Amino acid sequence: MQTARHAVIAAAGLGTRLGLGKPKCMVSIAGRTILDRQLELLSDVPDVRLVVGYLEHDVIAHALQLRRDITIVRNPAYRTTTTQQSYWLGARYLREPCVYLDGDIIFEPQSFFAFLENAEAHAPLIAITAAKTDQAVFTMNDREIAQPFLRTLSFSRTDSTPWEWANLACLPPGLLEENGGSVFSRLEQFLPLRSQAVVSFEVDTEADLNRAEAFVATVAQRQAA
Amino acid sequence: MSSTAFCFDLDGTVTLKEILPIIAAEVGLAEEIDLLTQMTIRGQIPFEMSFRLRCRLLAEIPVDTVAQIVEAVPIDKAIAGFLQDHREECYLVTGNLDVWVERLVKKLGCALFSSQAAKRPDGRLGALRQILRKSGPIRELRARYTRVVCVGEGFNDLPMFEEADIGVAYGGVHSAAREVIETADYIIGDGVALCRLLDTLS
Repeated sequence: MQTARHAVIAAAGLGTRLGLGKPKCMVSIAGRTILDRQLELLSDVPDVRLVVGYLEHDVIAHALQLRRDITIVRNPAYRTTTTQQSYWLGARYLREPCVYLDGDIIFEPQSFFAFLENAEAHAPLIAITAAKTDQAVFTMNDREIAQPFLRTLSFSRTDSTPWEWANLACLPPGLLEENGGSVFSRLEQFLPLRSQAVVSFEVDTEADLNRAEAFVATVAQRQAA
Repeated sequence: MSSTAFCFDLDGTVTLKEILPIIAAEVGLAEEIDLLTQMTIRGQIPFEMSFRLRCRLLAEIPVDTVAQIVEAVPIDKAIAGFLQDHREECYLVTGNLDVWVERLVKKLGCALFSSQAAKRPDGRLGALRQILRKSGPIRELRARYTRVVCVGEGFNDLPMFEEADIGVAYGGVHSAAREVIETADYIIGDGVALCRLLDTLS
């Protein structure tokens, strides 16, 4: 299976909306942290970088225990910068496309691997998922342009559609900006973008966490059956 | 002007073990040296004084014997490979004494910034000429290179991290000190991952 060479996980934020007092990548779902689950999905990617900020020492210790050859990148200004800044720091100096994902997402493995397989060859490639979160960034997409790709035409916080931006993308070097705004506002400048659907559950609120837990339980049941 | 210089701490970064305790163990002074090291880490005695004391304790061992012990200290294979491939851009920056580490450094094949001491005619350690503060070499290299990357883990690496363009806290041998992590841009726990990162910076 083809896979990406570089991946950056943004895990610097405070996770205040969830309010568990720890970084969201450290939140356990069915006994395993989100970071643990994401690193398993990225085990074939040779260069995995984790951007840390809030409670960095805890996250660093946990990450190195899970994967010894991970690269930790610090974002000391995590309180005042966006996820785009964490991504930019994480992939700084890279000369190849890189996969970017937020550290607070549970992915259904098959759809994640399908994305990884296409990521580098088709960068820029962004992921979309069935709309479900409270503060979704909806995407308007064309019909499929060629399996498995769609074409994303616009982002919106207000005009609801069945799809939202999944906070997963593979982008060529130089596309993200230092000290920029939100990631989707940067991506907006490159629309239309090739996109691929994934099954994913972002954990921003308690309701999101419940949805992610239910999904993980369903997958476990399916595997047991 | 060349592009990037790479500066490596020696003890516990390039070497898989701390050098001073190994020398001390050879002459039955392991506990004494360890006590001094712990007190230095806790900030109970200043680094320079601690270093002078440690040198005094080990001064009776012939310099060549120490150099031989140091030469045999195991080194990180991935880092040794990187040093060999980037000889012209790599520098070892160590508070250790030139007369003790010279043989090891020759084996690694790159340039050295270190503390300096004289060797007496009887082969014992003479006077300390200079105790290296690690900010000096970085400042010097910044004038010659567009970018200086430093790799280290301990307290005495902090001046190096403060001057360098990019700091990599390396915990391959033991966890990097908290203060070093808080001054670093990157934290790495594995030699292969370290060299992969350094390759992207060269």
